[in-house]
Amino acid sequence: MGASDISYWQLALGYGLLIFPMAVFLWHGVPLLGDTFMGVLRMTVQLLFIGFYLQYVFRWNNPWLNIGWIAVMVLVADASIVRGCGLRARIFLLPLSLSLLMGVLAPLLIFVLVIIRPDPLFDARYVIPIAGMILGNCLRADIVGIRGFYESLHKREKAYLHALASGARLHEAAQPFLRDALRDALAPTIATMATMGVVSLPGMMTGVILGGSDPATAIKYQIAIMLAIFSGTAITVTAAIYLTLHGSFTPYGVLKREIFARIEK
Amino acid sequence: MEHEDILNIRNLSVRLDGTQLFRGVSLAVNVGEKITITGLSGSGKSTLLRCVLGFVPFQGEILIAGTPLNARTVWQLRRQLAYVAQEPELGDGTVQALLARPFSYKANQGLAYGREEVDQLFEHFRLPLPLLHKDITSLSGGEKQRVALIGALLLRRPLLLLDEAASALDGEAKKQVRAYLSSREDLAIVSVSHDVRDFVFNGGVYHLPDLATGDS
Repeated sequence: MGASDISYWQLALGYGLLIFPMAVFLWHGVPLLGDTFMGVLRMTVQLLFIGFYLQYVFRWNNPWLNIGWIAVMVLVADASIVRGCGLRARIFLLPLSLSLLMGVLAPLLIFVLVIIRPDPLFDARYVIPIAGMILGNCLRADIVGIRGFYESLHKREKAYLHALASGARLHEAAQPFLRDALRDALAPTIATMATMGVVSLPGMMTGVILGGSDPATAIKYQIAIMLAIFSGTAITVTAAIYLTLHGSFTPYGVLKREIFARIEK
Repeated sequence: MEHEDILNIRNLSVRLDGTQLFRGVSLAVNVGEKITITGLSGSGKSTLLRCVLGFVPFQGEILIAGTPLNARTVWQLRRQLAYVAQEPELGDGTVQALLARPFSYKANQGLAYGREEVDQLFEHFRLPLPLLHKDITSLSGGEKQRVALIGALLLRRPLLLLDEAASALDGEAKKQVRAYLSSREDLAIVSVSHDVRDFVFNGGVYHLPDLATGDS
């Protein structure tokens, strides 16, 4: 037994919920009407496309197709991080893709091969949504971590150069910035875990319950996915910073100005 | 003799963001020599020091203790230098933690953070010891400058680069710092300042444009 379907008419009525935020925006002159319209439109088009596409992914259930789809998700996430951070694509696209792949694949493989062991092993119904959840969180953490790391290095360059002048190697001088970036990127996931089930009913658990499973099964999935997300984000952000270090500094250890797509004066 | 030069700058030119800052600057500093470089604001005095640290791309040659500065040697050569920036920023944390941090770097493994030496330097520079436990952000500009100087001295480098390092000090503090630094015969100093009336060392005083041998 799965979740009962929603007809397109019923869903259209669901858009009626937008009346409340729109009314607030209009009433208070909040300049978010255009953004809201674009956001809702993009969400709708993207999800319609994904829903249509996933029907076939699940029907064919070909491991190569599943891996290919994960690769596409990683690339889209990658481009979105580079754009979101205002960084130069030429320098960051490749190392960030690698860091995302590492952050998604390591916990995904443990989740699939060790924890749930579905049959077939790379069953699309498990692999795709789990990879998507881990990746979505890696994307958010990467934007916070990478942007925080390079922006604070740029803003507080004097402190960084002071460390270099005191004899630090690049990774030693960058260490305080790396620590702050990791803290800022991972703290939200820790906060989410700490309030889980009390403040919010988590998405995966809700999904498993709607799919007809026992709440006891649902919480096990939820705990496992949170652990996978947390380790995935930690791997991604750390790898992203380490993999981009080499291309972002001159051989003298000075941060290159050209890594920023927009240079602040 | 060349091998006695701790710093030798030959025909140095720097162009930043399309502007020629200076051209053909040459300068030699002996071991233990203390010189002052003056010049108008924006003439490139700070940039000259930043070149020696490998922070700014340059044309020409810089030798530190006889070794040419380049991308390969810079990491080793920075162990010959200590630097106090204009309005120094040492990082986050207490004064004590920031003074101790460089001793955790691999390059400084042979050095030890000596609390006695810190106490002595605090006394020389008239800083109260409880300041060690304060957060660096709570210090005044003059206190920060003296803490940065102490941090640089603790590293026991043969060459100290000072960029307007006494600008926030009052007359008395300036005198004390100058007297202490002058007494250190082992220490070569290149101090740049736009105003040298009350912070000048016994060695040469050079006007930056006069150091240029080129046609700038």
